[in-house]
Amino acid sequence: MSERIYLSGNEAIAYGLIASGVRFLTGYPGTPSSEILPTAQKLKLRYKFKGFIDWAVNEKVALEMAFSASLCKIKSAVTMKQVGLNVAMDAFVNSAYIGPKAGFVVVVADDPGPYSSQTEQDSRIAAYFAKVPVFDPSSVEEAYHFAKKALELSEEFEIPVLLRTTTALSHGKADISIDNLKIEDQFQPNFKEELKNWEKEVSKLAATPKQRYLLHKALNEKLKAISERNKIRYFYEGDILILSSGMVFSYLRELIEEYNLQQKVTLGKVDIPYPLKKENFSKFKRIITVEETAPVIELFLNTEGRRNGIVPSEGELSPEVCENILAKIGLISEKKTVIIPPLKRPSLCPGCGHRIGLFAVKKVFGKKAIYTGDIGCYTLALNFGVTDTVFCMGAGVSFATGMKKVFDLSGKERMVIGIVGDSTFLHSGIPPLIDAYHYRVPILLIILDNETVGMTGNQKTPAHTKSYEGEPLNSVKIENIVKGIGIEFVKVVDSYEYKKTLAVLKGAKSYLLENKKPAVVILKHPCIYTKEGLEKNPKKPVKIVEEKCTGCKYCIVEFECPALIWDKDKEKVLIDKTLCINCGCCIYVCPKKAIIEVKDGACNTW
Amino acid sequence: MELVILGKGGQGVLFFSKILAQIAIEEGESVKATEIKGMAKKGGVVEVQMKIGEGYSPKIKRGSADLVILLSPDLEAYGKTFGEKIFTFSKEEIEKAFKEVPLRYVNTYLMGIFLAKTGIFDINKALKILDEENQKSLLKGYAYVQSQNGDFTKRRD
Repeated sequence: MSERIYLSGNEAIAYGLIASGVRFLTGYPGTPSSEILPTAQKLKLRYKFKGFIDWAVNEKVALEMAFSASLCKIKSAVTMKQVGLNVAMDAFVNSAYIGPKAGFVVVVADDPGPYSSQTEQDSRIAAYFAKVPVFDPSSVEEAYHFAKKALELSEEFEIPVLLRTTTALSHGKADISIDNLKIEDQFQPNFKEELKNWEKEVSKLAATPKQRYLLHKALNEKLKAISERNKIRYFYEGDILILSSGMVFSYLRELIEEYNLQQKVTLGKVDIPYPLKKENFSKFKRIITVEETAPVIELFLNTEGRRNGIVPSEGELSPEVCENILAKIGLISEKKTVIIPPLKRPSLCPGCGHRIGLFAVKKVFGKKAIYTGDIGCYTLALNFGVTDTVFCMGAGVSFATGMKKVFDLSGKERMVIGIVGDSTFLHSGIPPLIDAYHYRVPILLIILDNETVGMTGNQKTPAHTKSYEGEPLNSVKIENIVKGIGIEFVKVVDSYEYKKTLAVLKGAKSYLLENKKPAVVILKHPCIYTKEGLEKNPKKPVKIVEEKCTGCKYCIVEFECPALIWDKDKEKVLIDKTLCINCGCCIYVCPKKAIIEVKDGACNTW
Repeated sequence: MELVILGKGGQGVLFFSKILAQIAIEEGESVKATEIKGMAKKGGVVEVQMKIGEGYSPKIKRGSADLVILLSPDLEAYGKTFGEKIFTFSKEEIEKAFKEVPLRYVNTYLMGIFLAKTGIFDINKALKILDEENQKSLLKGYAYVQSQNGDFTKRRD
């Protein structure tokens, strides 16, 4: 029995994993991977099966927890974005040597473009590096089927399997046919059955270097066996062979049909880009690989592609880029490049607690201070000058520590302020704060605590007291962690209390200068993007007193609220009431005191 | 058919495209679409590309869209990179929508206007997938166009 449903690639992956019996699923949110785990949670709530499906504190922990579950013979999976795999790399590489005892799938979402990532790295290369087979689906339907196949392959060979998706696939949607889930009968007894006779296996699970050599050898044999049965699928019948995998395959297929190239081109579809076996391509005139974003198939099968400049080495291989590639091969005529007009840059949401909090930080520490930012919504503070560096998760804390140390060595006083969100701090901001404390580096660390992972769609953080199933959870208090490290100056303040925030920050400034030790200020305010956050948010409707507004644009430039807009005709600032959430924070911003609270609700709108 | 729906965060692009997809599926067509999220919700542009009854991938090549639906008129230059044929709501239509129905039903009112003016889908299929309040709002929008004697050939495109 099957049914047709309209799913995104990420949702399809979750359906595939759960349908094949994954009962331990964890991960860390990151665009474009974030919707996989919540979809699996929804399925768990719907079908009420036994299992664990929830977020981990970071990708390394997530991968280790899921892998250990597979060692207990429970089918497991872990989800993350491509840079998250870097965080989990040690565990990932190791997992290939040890090998799971039940199906174990690592789902990694790459971001060619990039749209919302630091790098365009190709996780298929990481799979090769770790000696892990990798599936690269080309459609939403395949995402569902490959999730199942990945689990089966993993189970059969006792090898981790990577399921690679990309932004276009993860966020692509299609109506697909899926099998009806029959969860209760099929999977419910697994835990009891599998764990009843679980036995230790020290030679494998705690292998010594000598045993590791043998495990490595066994791994190579598994890969050889998998490569032997890894078949390329061929479409059309021309004498130019184009090899491809992932979403790019689908773009090429569309273009070949659009330009009627079926007699000129054979399109080879690689479902598993690693491990591949050598193929006999002697019947083809040319062999070219078009793949995102690194040469993998191209290098293994020694084809044309990036090595001779046919395929660009950076950027997404969009349908337009694929069209240009066909032109470069000589199959179609050159296309005119479409010039895409720039779009408005994203900003923090109107009413975001981070904005008023970081505005206060800028007010106290000035533009001379160095602001080492981090990964999260608050990266957008670079729009109004309160973020000077963005690197990778947790680097806001380590950059502040390293830079401050260097400035101290130079003998030049320069304030260095690290900015990190609550989830990012817990993910990988704690270790560098330990070093900052240990080496007495006088940085100020601002922890922006909105009790959610805001940027990726408001996932749960360890501060939460209830799981998605309503089970009680222990709430982790960031201030306790900071105090536990030994840091003496730890203050918590709601960033909406502007004057109090200013006082706390001024106190931190004097502490740093006098004591030469690190200080931490936790700026707390719930995320207003959540329903509860918006409902509970203080309401303070404001208006602009037209006579007082001099059109200096200070609020637009230095505060950058999307609801404050420029009226070209009047050369004054207006409030866009369709965006304004009545937080009232901008009252503190206007140097001319032109923004005031209104009690009667009347205000100038557009 | 290749459609592109463009607007800004909070304008209902995702809602609009979801309804269109559901109507198409209801009509027995296959649907493939993209959904650009992430930074979009931070005031950026929300963009949905949708292929109905054709293609292997959800992405639309620039210049090949059959219709570009703009929920925000200032995205016209960007929208035109997808296709020449643009559908936008007039200022009067948007004002009418805000006046006629509560805020949360503005989008279905506009959907009614869209369906009446373009005729690309059967209104009855749309009614089938909506709840009662949304149905009322959709019909109001639909009726508004009819009362204006507006027809597909007269809209600017």
